[in-house]
Amino acid sequence: MKEELNKIEEIIVNTNEIKKSNVQELMEMFFVKLKNRVDNYIGDYPTFIEPVYLEDNVKIGDDVLLGPNVYIGANSEIPDYVEISNTIIFDNVKIGENFKLENCIVAENSSFNFKNLNMKNSVLNGVANSKNELQNIGF
Amino acid sequence: MSDKEEREISRIKEVESTNLARDDIRELVIETKKAVEKDNDLLANRVHRNFLDNNIKSFDIVGAIGAGKTALLEKIAEKLTPKFRMLVICGDITTRVDADRIEQYNSETIQINTGRECALNAYHIHQIIKNKDLQNYDVIFIENVGNLICPSEFVLGTDKRIVVVSITEGEWVVEKHPMLFKMSDIAVINKIDLKERLGTNVEKMIADAKKINPEIEVITTSTKTGENLNKLMELIGF
Repeated sequence: MKEELNKIEEIIVNTNEIKKSNVQELMEMFFVKLKNRVDNYIGDYPTFIEPVYLEDNVKIGDDVLLGPNVYIGANSEIPDYVEISNTIIFDNVKIGENFKLENCIVAENSSFNFKNLNMKNSVLNGVANSKNELQNIGF
Repeated sequence: MSDKEEREISRIKEVESTNLARDDIRELVIETKKAVEKDNDLLANRVHRNFLDNNIKSFDIVGAIGAGKTALLEKIAEKLTPKFRMLVICGDITTRVDADRIEQYNSETIQINTGRECALNAYHIHQIIKNKDLQNYDVIFIENVGNLICPSEFVLGTDKRIVVVSITEGEWVVEKHPMLFKMSDIAVINKIDLKERLGTNVEKMIADAKKINPEIEVITTSTKTGENLNKLMELIGF
């Protein structure tokens, strides 16, 4: 599981590599191996469709739906009304309220400080205070 | 007061105001409710079409906590998995206790933890099947969250719905929960081995189910003694 995760992380660091890489294939291989780990989050009973793997110290808000095929890195924050499926979120990420992410990768230390986003098949990276500032690359 | 307490109070107020449906938002509340029901029905139709296209038999099992849904699924899995490829989607507020039990009988399982939601809906099932190659299965069971109220709000897109009650719930349990019996194809009255000891009026339970839904098939079972389990298998087409 960690092997695929490391490869994906290497690819998304270089934005020029994302489109010509096999990132979709790597994600699918990663999700086949993904185990379920949902007993360690901070929050009040979101909805999980397994497999969902939460690293330590993940904060989850109300009315959140995670899964299937979701990995969330350590110290990341998932606020209220978020829905995520087939997505990898690396460590120390903060996303906004009412985000819907499907088949996405969110790079380490990303922070999106705005509400309402519906995103598919993309790598999201960096710090954005509005949708216009969002750096996303489709794959 | 902590931030968490404040947020919880704010959430309850929000829910209460929705329920009270003030004059100015009443129309919006009703429209939203209708849209949710319509979306669920459309998705359930799509789920069922996917099952049918892949020649999969599908069943949604509903009933209260402790009625014996998981015990029945253990027995069903024991009988089916030597010949058929079986998937069970288990709905629970939290834990994967039921899924782990059923996996002991060689069925694949997927657990949905609904958190604060008291029933599965068609969107949950759709999210699972769009990530699965359905050609790998012959039969799919969906074990809904344990209660006799909320699941009647949402159809899931299966061939048949099976409602399970046990005689330990008392002889009034059927007449007190008419919607689920109205919406089900088979009613299982379980733990029949305890009939003499409890003195429950099982005939009343059967009559109530038939009165609510004259089309419903009613069967009494015991997962402990195996009574009528073969008959149940016949009713679900195996």
